[in-house]
Amino acid sequence: MKKKIPLKEKIFQVINGLIFAALGLTMLLPFINLLAKSFSSESSVLAGRVGLWPIGFQTGTYRYVLTEPQFIRSLFNSILVTICGTIIAMILTCMVAYPLSRGWLKGRKIFILIFVFVMLFNGGMVPTYLLINSLHMLNTYWALILPPAFSVYNMILLKNFFEELPESVEESARLDGAGNMDILFRIVLPMSLPAIATIGLFYAVGFWNNYMGGVMYITDPKFKPLQQYLYELVTETQRLQEDLITGELNLDRDAINTVPDAIRAATIMLSSIPIMLVYPFLQKYFVKGLVVGSVKG
Amino acid sequence: MHFTRKKRSLNTNKSLSMYALLVPGLIFIFIFNYLPMYGTLIAFKDYNIFAGNNPIDAIFKSEWVGVKYWKQLWSESMFRQAFRNTLTISIMKIVIGFPIPILLALFINEIRSVLYKRTIQTVLYLPHFMSWAVIGSLLLSILGTTGPVNTVLRTLGLNNVAFFMDANVFPWVLVISALWKEAGWNTIVYLAAIAGVSPDLYEAATVDGATRIQRMRYVTLPSIASTIMMLLILRLGNLMAAGFDQVLVMYNPTVYSTGDIIDTYVYRIGLGQLNFSLGTAVGLFNSVINLILVTTSNLFSRKAFGRSIW
Repeated sequence: MKKKIPLKEKIFQVINGLIFAALGLTMLLPFINLLAKSFSSESSVLAGRVGLWPIGFQTGTYRYVLTEPQFIRSLFNSILVTICGTIIAMILTCMVAYPLSRGWLKGRKIFILIFVFVMLFNGGMVPTYLLINSLHMLNTYWALILPPAFSVYNMILLKNFFEELPESVEESARLDGAGNMDILFRIVLPMSLPAIATIGLFYAVGFWNNYMGGVMYITDPKFKPLQQYLYELVTETQRLQEDLITGELNLDRDAINTVPDAIRAATIMLSSIPIMLVYPFLQKYFVKGLVVGSVKG
Repeated sequence: MHFTRKKRSLNTNKSLSMYALLVPGLIFIFIFNYLPMYGTLIAFKDYNIFAGNNPIDAIFKSEWVGVKYWKQLWSESMFRQAFRNTLTISIMKIVIGFPIPILLALFINEIRSVLYKRTIQTVLYLPHFMSWAVIGSLLLSILGTTGPVNTVLRTLGLNNVAFFMDANVFPWVLVISALWKEAGWNTIVYLAAIAGVSPDLYEAATVDGATRIQRMRYVTLPSIASTIMMLLILRLGNLMAAGFDQVLVMYNPTVYSTGDIIDTYVYRIGLGQLNFSLGTAVGLFNSVINLILVTTSNLFSRKAFGRSIW
């Protein structure tokens, strides 16, 4: 039976739809503008003439960025750190979340408290920096991989998800003589794929987007991740604009350091493409995974 | 007797492998989380990085100075300014950024077409997945003197706005851009809560002749009220987090007066000027306030709503 939709409802749907379309556009337009800039000639970008379509179309910016050795190096670093970091983080997180999700484990509450406490209190930036320094991790990939490799928040999400799994399957497996590890690998993990995909995505995005690690621990260009490369482009541009205004512009120095806007636009585009490509496919998973993990009271 | 003993030993075996699984995680947080907590001792010492064989050893060998750096802290006008800015920016972010996702979720929920709904959600979540380094450079390009926003302002006959250099405007740039980036993403929890509302309630309300606004006001909102309150309390607990990675990319010396927050201040004096003890003292101050706020708000949430994050 098909219900007839009243006119009032139709009008509401159209208006509501249009408002969200407008909101959606505010999310997309900045990226479209950037895309247009990245394909435009530098003079039209500087004149502020580029809107949503390239003016003075060229692809030289992309050729420039893709042959810029530091960009390639940083891209490689980011890919390496993201892959290694996500694998280590997922292994650690599953290893902790599984025991803590079993209600019968003695001392479970105390262990949970030990983990949760680090969410509430931290030593701060300076002691952490000194630690990384003592471990001889400054200017190594480890400084980018290890500190963010375990998130208590993600562990709790995964633990909550594990707790929701039906107990009957596990019980019958135990009767068949299955141990903890059999249950983890044959039952818990396969049944938790949406949650694992979600948390894996969170970690991967976190590693990919992490620029603070680079800014704090990396000074050697060999190890700089892509986001740090971008960060340095931004701060350099900011400093330059300030100098322009305060009149301290030093042409000798700044002519060398200036990065043209169109090239900056191309750099930003290239460094966000991986995320834009991966994320719509994973959306279905992460909504499901996050919802189950977080709604629990 | 025999039977129970056997059962107990089985149980210990059963637990043993579980504890083994916990070991790497425990070692990890001991090194990367608990050791730095111990390192906060240097907030009460005259830390000299060369006093020992390595920076950690130097913590032990540095001299105690009691509250010297805590006194110095409050005499630093930059610190007081950063403290004030942290609170201001954070409160602005809560007042503006907290209610909007609720409103968005209510209206997203009213979209009938499943495909359209999912498309809108995908688009609204997108900026959440971009780093602040990307968004910062994007904003610099959009809001710069030659960017489209100022071009539009000029064609309207208005003056250019120096979004990144006008100290009065800068906090708003922070607040609005954070809203833009996270508002869509923050609807997820509310949408999940709304999805859990029984359809019978809506049907009953419709039968009783409730309009859409009435259904939202009297059915949807009350059903997600506890979620809203819990998230609000937890958000208030994070008052000291004004957005470190956002500010660090976007600020510059011309807007320190309104844009410098505690975290960026610690970064500059601690890692920039290598004033380790003072930087640690500021960081510790921040962490302690944070601890008090988070535990209080969580306790409150548990008492009031029976829900908490741990």
